[in-house]
Amino acid sequence: MNPIVDRQAQQIWQSQPLEGMKMSADAIRLRAGKFERRIDRRNLRENIAGVFVIAFFAHSLITTHEILFRVTWGLFIVGMIWILVHLRLKGTPRSMPGDMGASTCLEFFRSELERQRDLVKNVWPWYLAPLVPGYLALNAAFIYHSPHPIRWGTLTLMDAFFVAVFAGVWMLNQRAARCLQRSVDELTAAQDAK
Amino acid sequence: MKVVSAIDEVSEIEAIPVASSTQDELYQQCAGEYGAALERLARAYEADADLRRDLLQEIHVALWRSFAGFDGRCSVRTWVYRVAHNVAASHVVHQRRARPQTLVGLEELENLPDASSAQAADRRQTLERLLGLIQHLKPLDRQVILAYLEGLDAASIGEITGLSPGHVATKIHRIKAVLALWFQAGSKEGGMRS
Repeated sequence: MNPIVDRQAQQIWQSQPLEGMKMSADAIRLRAGKFERRIDRRNLRENIAGVFVIAFFAHSLITTHEILFRVTWGLFIVGMIWILVHLRLKGTPRSMPGDMGASTCLEFFRSELERQRDLVKNVWPWYLAPLVPGYLALNAAFIYHSPHPIRWGTLTLMDAFFVAVFAGVWMLNQRAARCLQRSVDELTAAQDAK
Repeated sequence: MKVVSAIDEVSEIEAIPVASSTQDELYQQCAGEYGAALERLARAYEADADLRRDLLQEIHVALWRSFAGFDGRCSVRTWVYRVAHNVAASHVVHQRRARPQTLVGLEELENLPDASSAQAADRRQTLERLLGLIQHLKPLDRQVILAYLEGLDAASIGEITGLSPGHVATKIHRIKAVLALWFQAGSKEGGMRS
């Protein structure tokens, strides 16, 4: 490339009109505080649906008299808590780690993609499996406590729907994990290239 | 609006006395030195003006926070660019979930419909097209082209991104080829009009 053109591209880029934003250290502190509160609100929003579901299960647990239904709601509550704790520990993005400058762009971006990949790839143990005991107990409770003759066809249909939803969620997440893995592989190849 | 020219400003910051600087002082010095570069960087990552302002503030907050843990393992300039690019890359990933967009690598740039059909030779339009091109790039390629446009050498770009200097040189070669194509097409059309 002609060095004049080369320099021209850099000149056009560097001489572009800017707003000239400036922030004092106090403004930065204020903004950092707002940022933390925004993260807290986001975490609360993520948890609020789970809290509602737990409250529903807790209400059912308190109001039911059948022991198997109590076990069912109890297992669902434990499963939901497990999911929420896992989401909180591993699902929340690394919003603004203090050591950001210590990682190269490649390392940082790859670790973010790997974290997301692991989360969606391992969706079975932390998102789907915790709800299975509760669902099995619910089946048993329906069969054992039903005042009417059991409609096996309806029950089978319900179970098939449950399995189909779980299989669908699992497959979608595996596909997302493969996409993320491809991006990770690209970055690894870029890092290894001489 | 003010016009900032920064062609030769990138190498002077190494002289900042890290050991005696407090977090606030270090931040203020770097914000003064790199404020314009950071604003250009934010512009390359976010087209929407409001979101861009948010991104820029987020970069400044991350920078200020990061200086609490700055241990001099790399130059201040490398640290500043790493923090800025890492925040911006996270922003891209987050925004892609909200506004899906296909990103391409440098090697695919020449196939973009706009790449070889320069419509105008004036600086403002060239800059806008350049921005459009950069915003279509995958994060790692975007980091390389931005650092190149800021006037950084291959070794410095390698230190920031984590790519080998050889690989950076290859990418810069591609960037130069694409830019040459753009400028050639632009000047031909300009010549035909005059």
